[in-house]
Amino acid sequence: MNPKVNIVVVVDVIGALSDGTLRNGNLCMIDDGSLASTGQGTPELVTVVKPGQVVTWSALAVDLQTPVEIKSITFLGPDADGGHEAEQAPPAAQAPVPHGQDGHADERHNPELDVWSGVVPYLAPGVAHPYRLEVQMYEGEYSTLHIESPALMCL
Amino acid sequence: MPQQLAVIVLVDVGNALESQTLNGNTYLFDNMKLQGSQNQGTGDLVTAINGSYWQDGSQASEQVLNWLPYSLGSIPPTVPRGYEAERARQTDEQALAELEDLAVKSSAAGVDAAAELNRIRQSAGRRVKTTRRTRGRLSGQKVLDVTGKVVSNGGTEAHSYPAPVITDIYGQAVDEKVIYPAEYGSPDLVTDGWYWSATVDTSRPGTYAYTMRIQLHRLVQQGGEPLWEPVNLTCESRIRVITEPKRNAFTKAGLGLLPIPPRPFS
Repeated sequence: MNPKVNIVVVVDVIGALSDGTLRNGNLCMIDDGSLASTGQGTPELVTVVKPGQVVTWSALAVDLQTPVEIKSITFLGPDADGGHEAEQAPPAAQAPVPHGQDGHADERHNPELDVWSGVVPYLAPGVAHPYRLEVQMYEGEYSTLHIESPALMCL
Repeated sequence: MPQQLAVIVLVDVGNALESQTLNGNTYLFDNMKLQGSQNQGTGDLVTAINGSYWQDGSQASEQVLNWLPYSLGSIPPTVPRGYEAERARQTDEQALAELEDLAVKSSAAGVDAAAELNRIRQSAGRRVKTTRRTRGRLSGQKVLDVTGKVVSNGGTEAHSYPAPVITDIYGQAVDEKVIYPAEYGSPDLVTDGWYWSATVDTSRPGTYAYTMRIQLHRLVQQGGEPLWEPVNLTCESRIRVITEPKRNAFTKAGLGLLPIPPRPFS
């Protein structure tokens, strides 16, 4: 068994920003795991892993000239069962961004520096562990979108 | 974020030719304003180049710079490539039609044939002489104004200038091997099939200057014929390179267990 699993998130940045959603074919996910992952090429990717494997997520843009990075990956607890994806808060309702020069945060976080990688812990087998995947496309208040449909699952 | 960095070099060609310098006649922009570039829209742009490196010190991302020269007071570079040739042909056809008309009318009394011929000559314009050095997109075309009308006397009337051409990029950043510029062929017609691009070695942070040699064209009369004469000027700009370490996004340090909350068995 390969000790590493790569998950690639492919984003059509212009499509996603125009539609305001990562659905409608604007995002797809693929992994190279050797076990029976399902939903390859869709936002519903369930990656089958084993404890001890290292999973690494990376984002790619369909149009190479457009910027995209993973902003956050948050595993959802048992009480946070999906369903919130459609209610992506409008920018006005999101946490206020500290405004510096030009209306942007004073201290810029560079998401390019983040390596989204971790070791799979012992998990209940056969149970999907969904996660919220938030992507950032350039910067500014409309630049982030997320999905809650992908998951990791141990056999 | 991994995107190609574009530097727009906007030149006020008319004023640059008049004052024989690009200083004060060049406006530089890039797409890195939100990543820390400074002095956008001035001649003193400092382009931010944010690199990253792995734990072992090796470069983690590749930054690519592209330069695009644009002109103030020219026909936009986005019009179709054959526009000048098409306009030249159309005005020739129009002149022929008017000549035919004049031939019919000239026998009638009260028609000043000489004045009419002169008017037709003015509206037909003249083709620019081609020399070995000016062979290219504009050779053999007519002088147009920015609206596409033929200009018959480029010495006194406002006319469109050929787009500026970057012919070299050199200076401190190149000498110190921080950027590796070269000119590439391109299918992009906006840049006339060529553009300058450079990869950046982000392992040595600092501010580095570089110089662009830019060729403009002045309309001159030589032996009674209009001719685009190349004028070479230079313009300086700077890049500010920083580099930061990659780190694990979950732990903010090294590799660790994925933060997965426990779930009951199904």
